[in-house]
Amino acid sequence: CEDFLDEPVRSKPTLTEIFSSQESVEAFVNGAYDGIMENDWWQINFFRQITDMATDDCWAGNTEQSRPDILTIAHYDNVDVGSTYFMNFWNYQFRGITRCNLIIQEMDNVDFDEDLKNRYKGEAKFLRARFYFELVKNFGGVPIITTFDELLKSEIREYVRQPEAEVWAVIEQDLIDAAELLPLKSEYASKDLGRATKGAAQAYLAKAYLFQEKWQEAADMANEVITSGEYQLETSFDDVWSVTNPNGVESIFEVQYRSDPTFRIGGVFGVTTGSREDGGWSWCVPTSNLEQAYLEEGDNIRLRNTIIKHGEPVYGDPEVTEFDAGLSRNKSARINRKFYIPTEYRETPYSPRNLPLNHILMRYADLLLIYAEASHFAGNEGEALAKLKMVRDRVNLTTDMSLTGDALRDAIWKERRLELALEQHRLYDLRRQKVNGVPRIATVMGPEGSFVKYNTQESTDEFELGNLREKQSKGATFDVDKHILWPIPHSEIVLTEGRIEQNPNY
Amino acid sequence: QQQISGTITADGEPLPGVTILEEGTTNGTITDIEGTYTLNLQGEDPMVVVSMVGFKTTRIAAKGRVEISLDLEEDVTDLEEVVVIGYGTATKKEITSSISTVKGEDLTKMTVGNVSESMQGLASGVQVISGGGGPGASPQILIRGIVTNRSTAPLIVVDGVALPQGSNLNFLNPSDIENIQVLKDGSATSIYGTRASNGVIIVNTKRGKSGEAKVTFSASYGLKGLDKPEVADANEYARVVNQRAANDGLPEPYDLSTITESTDWWEEVYKDYASVENYNLQVSGGSEKLNYLSSVAYHKSKSHLEKGYWERATGRVNIDYSISDKLFLQQDFNPRYEHWENTPNQFWSTLRMDPLTPVYIPIDERQGRNEYSIYARSNNYVWNPVGAVNRSFNETHFFGVFSNTNLEYDITDFLSVSSRIGLNFGQTRNEVFNPKFVIEPNLEENQQSSVATRFDQNFSYVWNNLIKFEKSYGKHKLNATVGYTAEYYQGHYLRGSRSDIILNDEKFRYLDATTGESIQAQGNMNANSLMSYLGRVMYNYDQRYFISGSYRRDGSSRFPVANQWANFFSASAAWDISSESFFNLPFVSGLKLKAGFGQVGNQNIPSSAFLFLVSDGSYVFGENEDRVITNQITQFGNSNLQWETVQDINVGIESGFMNDKLTLSVDYYVKESKDLLFATTLPLYTGSPSDIMQNVGSFESKGLDISLGYNDKIGDWQLSALATLNTNESRAKALAPGNDQLLAQKQAVFGNSFLKITELGKVVGLFYGYETDGLFQNQTEINSHSSDNGKLVQPAAQPGDMKFVDQNNDGELNEEDLTIIGNPFPDFYAGLNVSATYKNLDFTMQWYASVGNDVYNYMKYFQTSGAGETNVRKGLIDEVWTESNPDATIPRLTVTDQNGNFKRSSDYFVEDGSYARLKNLQVGYTINSLNAAKIRLYVSGQNLFTITKYSGFDPEVSSGGIINGYGMDFGRYPMSRTFVLGLDLNF
Repeated sequence: CEDFLDEPVRSKPTLTEIFSSQESVEAFVNGAYDGIMENDWWQINFFRQITDMATDDCWAGNTEQSRPDILTIAHYDNVDVGSTYFMNFWNYQFRGITRCNLIIQEMDNVDFDEDLKNRYKGEAKFLRARFYFELVKNFGGVPIITTFDELLKSEIREYVRQPEAEVWAVIEQDLIDAAELLPLKSEYASKDLGRATKGAAQAYLAKAYLFQEKWQEAADMANEVITSGEYQLETSFDDVWSVTNPNGVESIFEVQYRSDPTFRIGGVFGVTTGSREDGGWSWCVPTSNLEQAYLEEGDNIRLRNTIIKHGEPVYGDPEVTEFDAGLSRNKSARINRKFYIPTEYRETPYSPRNLPLNHILMRYADLLLIYAEASHFAGNEGEALAKLKMVRDRVNLTTDMSLTGDALRDAIWKERRLELALEQHRLYDLRRQKVNGVPRIATVMGPEGSFVKYNTQESTDEFELGNLREKQSKGATFDVDKHILWPIPHSEIVLTEGRIEQNPNY
Repeated sequence: QQQISGTITADGEPLPGVTILEEGTTNGTITDIEGTYTLNLQGEDPMVVVSMVGFKTTRIAAKGRVEISLDLEEDVTDLEEVVVIGYGTATKKEITSSISTVKGEDLTKMTVGNVSESMQGLASGVQVISGGGGPGASPQILIRGIVTNRSTAPLIVVDGVALPQGSNLNFLNPSDIENIQVLKDGSATSIYGTRASNGVIIVNTKRGKSGEAKVTFSASYGLKGLDKPEVADANEYARVVNQRAANDGLPEPYDLSTITESTDWWEEVYKDYASVENYNLQVSGGSEKLNYLSSVAYHKSKSHLEKGYWERATGRVNIDYSISDKLFLQQDFNPRYEHWENTPNQFWSTLRMDPLTPVYIPIDERQGRNEYSIYARSNNYVWNPVGAVNRSFNETHFFGVFSNTNLEYDITDFLSVSSRIGLNFGQTRNEVFNPKFVIEPNLEENQQSSVATRFDQNFSYVWNNLIKFEKSYGKHKLNATVGYTAEYYQGHYLRGSRSDIILNDEKFRYLDATTGESIQAQGNMNANSLMSYLGRVMYNYDQRYFISGSYRRDGSSRFPVANQWANFFSASAAWDISSESFFNLPFVSGLKLKAGFGQVGNQNIPSSAFLFLVSDGSYVFGENEDRVITNQITQFGNSNLQWETVQDINVGIESGFMNDKLTLSVDYYVKESKDLLFATTLPLYTGSPSDIMQNVGSFESKGLDISLGYNDKIGDWQLSALATLNTNESRAKALAPGNDQLLAQKQAVFGNSFLKITELGKVVGLFYGYETDGLFQNQTEINSHSSDNGKLVQPAAQPGDMKFVDQNNDGELNEEDLTIIGNPFPDFYAGLNVSATYKNLDFTMQWYASVGNDVYNYMKYFQTSGAGETNVRKGLIDEVWTESNPDATIPRLTVTDQNGNFKRSSDYFVEDGSYARLKNLQVGYTINSLNAAKIRLYVSGQNLFTITKYSGFDPEVSSGGIINGYGMDFGRYPMSRTFVLGLDLNF
């Protein structure tokens, strides 16, 4: 009689059933990695591109498809608080945090090797710190959740935003713990290449200090990575964003891809930033303003590795002698070279949704420049110059070793732009770097902004001026009292009946 | 002595078993199977009394006659009708609860092939919401308002067998149905326990009667016309796009002088007419021991697209066999086959596609392209709908058998036992082929062809064991039932797909012909069971005082062991005042008061609702870029989940006037749900990957069901009319902490706003958004729209933009200014059915109306904004605000929409959705003469016209889950206007 009513739910293991072995714990840890780039779902991680579009490095780009939801954000022109991009990005970082909280909380109930357990815990803490890092740099203070259990209590609905400093404290502590728990890159078995390392945790910790202007801590932490001897610059800049050089010597942390349509593995940025004539969508295209920055510097090596220009050959792809950037559909008729897959490395049939190129999130050049910048502000100009020189030497640029003070600072900042362009760092650099207390983004954007002036008064770029379906005046409506952070998603405010408060002036 | 003989018929059919009695004597006989009799009369001036239960008794003077043949007139007064209630029957007079009845003949007047749609307006308290005009679409049925956020589908019971959850009435051949009873209140439904919170629909199929074989054949053929939604042509479209750009200071993309061609996408995709056919053959008859009814029927309806139809073939054999005086067997057998060519849903694409784009690319550019790649691509990124239809290969086949066996043994004349087994088998096969095509690489393409097949197999049984007691002692009548039932359902599915067929030909569209790397296989099994004990007592004294009580104890596999069992009670009573001796109102022929209380449950939740669910995925690690398995949580479980219970109180009167020429019934009910199940959206910062199922509180639904009937015969006129009128209001009575605002229907285009809200004390599922106050005419008006402290509410606005109301007057337009902007529920809905027969001519008319409800016209977003460069409604260019058109109600055209006219949910989209619709109009003519055969020819029209102010395509809308979807018009295949020609043959 009782048996008659015993009908379990088939094929759906409960959490306790599945979270029960070392293998399953590892699978949950892997799942947290999968969340770094929002499971490579282009609709979610497209937001990362929008942040580059909101700088002087990129245009929104696609002038064929009408997308005011993207344009208004990229142009700071009535930024839409209801945008799905904000909402999903916000939600997916918290989903990542929840994955990490679950691992950290539940792992102790599973019995297996303690060393491995510690490593998993270190990985989860590293990843959780990264998710909070993404949140704080985009939105400012956010609700802090560090356990899984609290999600199941009714009080979870009463949470409010915590001050930025509190969020940074969580990030710092997680990264300190992760640096303790994680092995060095060289200590991992080759099958585990790509997992979080001690060096990655320290590099992000250095970056977290830099964002908070804790200059000395930032320099010291970056120095620990440098002295570990685990990383070096690639000899050739060509090898940094190369599909044939995954997890290269310069790589500190990168998202791992292979082209696997069956299991839907692979990156999408090469598609979303690609030319419409090349199976791409033509979003987030490089500006002539960025191109000028390279030309003024005489920086041909990084220029050809960063920008593909219409009608010209593609550097590193001998099969394309005259690139078609889709003139009428592309604001600048330029394409991001860093995410481009050369013809010979494309799968046949070319499946442009699953690109094999790993996405580098932290590399040694970034770290060296963090060190240089922090050292400069900490008063150690010699160290700053030395590391600046290292980065420039690689691309055959000479370094003026007499630089000092603000000129040195500006040289380091310029170097960050040239070195890391189109790698989705620019917006956050411009927001945190300040001249006389004014964030640099306010000197680039706004009615008097350098970028706005360049486009509306100085530019002679035939491509950009020839396609006005995206306005030249991008950024003229920038307001530093508002646009220094992105808005909290509208739906979050509605769902919490206003407990989660909006950022100023939105 | 005088001998008389003759034939007694009813409705022209021989009637066996009629008593012929010489009045004042015991001398009599009964008619035989041919309806004939012979009787020797004894008296001098004999009077013959011809009588039979159910017919009017006739007295005839027989003196001098040798033949007396009669056609008896039926004498079924309304109150003696037998009504099938849960696990038993009762006369209508004995009913103490609220039950609506729909006769089978009324259902077949609508030639729609689908029973639930025909019920619209025929049963008081039952709201039928059309599922759209696509072939085989199934309407939603809503009985007495909304007290749940789960499905509102009622429990369906066919000939005593409760069907599995999710069943609808589509599978039934309407001609097989004798009648349908709708159990509406808790005192009627409580006996069905956990499955009955949405009400119960009991379908009784026709059964054979003793007598000569009767053959009925009917056929009808109809054409469904479709109203064409008018959209802008190429010239107007280009002007709209140009004006949008110019208003924003952007270059105008189109040179109007170069536009010569315009594509009418509607004409390219939709055909003006689609056919609907019905054929039905039925044979019935029987002897004293064995009665049978056998039928076979076929229905086919086509869509208005090149692809898409539904066909259904059903067979039925119903047998009643008296094995002995005490042992009776019923065996029904109902096999069926259904086949859909799935109708591609291209409604939106067709309306939004730009008219500048031709259907095909030029012939000289087709080289190297396959037949699916020759379509042109639109600049507005809407996929070519003609191409989409042509590459749609999606078919579903269903094979099902329903068997229903009942064995009843009468132990004594007042006690019987019975055991019924209902078996239901079904298999569904779905075949999909997605051809390879490349219209534009990485944009409008499918790089690999693929084939997918899915098999679903389900089996369920219902086993009912009942003991029934029925006895009268003087004026006391007692009726009692106790029983035990078991229900079990199991379903399996298996799906496989693989990429790359070798050759693009129909015979290669099978998995064995695929070669690609992308291979998928899925399969699962689910099962649930329900075990119950039930009992009911009905007692009446002198057919004046009636009481009834029931009890059910249910055990369900859907809940954790600790929560598996629940008890449900009901009690009701009625008083037939008109049977009292003191009652003496000449024109009132019947008056009954009734009141009842009942409890039911709702176990209708996903079995996994309280589980944390985990799914797997892939990531990459290592030098060799190995795929590793990932786990992630995909659903937060809720271990505290309980089932929903509903209890209600019903009071009503039933009355008849002027010998029941007029009948009126009025019911008032209050229905309350507790522990209401609701999928709530947690704050996004919880990182919850899905909504979470919670018991959030209590909804209360109140309403009136009024039904007014008229029946009369005046000379050669037979007239009847039925009017139903219903009101209902559902409010949130209590909401759990943290759930004081239930939000739903989040829409990305409106900044991820929620368009529906449920708040404490208010009507459930109201429309939510900003209130507008016309359009700004000039900058002065914009500048004067400010808060008390002088802050401009809409600094980005320009003349022609919408003015939004700053509810809290703080000078900012934000979340705090959201308010309730409409109510989707009608003040009342009503049905009117009129039929008249004059000699051989018959006429039927059926109306349905919904009054006072708002509709959220989501289609207005695309149709009036041109957002995303999609096409707009015809004439928009002259309807939008411009300086020369200041009286416009539609805001100015803009690309970036700085003011957010079309980025906010607002009352601009909410319209009065009241309507009245002529559902059916039918005229028939019957020819009696041909060889005893009766031929009826008819023409009928359905949905002939609709009276409404609604500007969308069809005010009869609903989508999604019921509270959340109610009143949302997301645009769908509109209702079609059907003209039918039909033939009924009886011999």
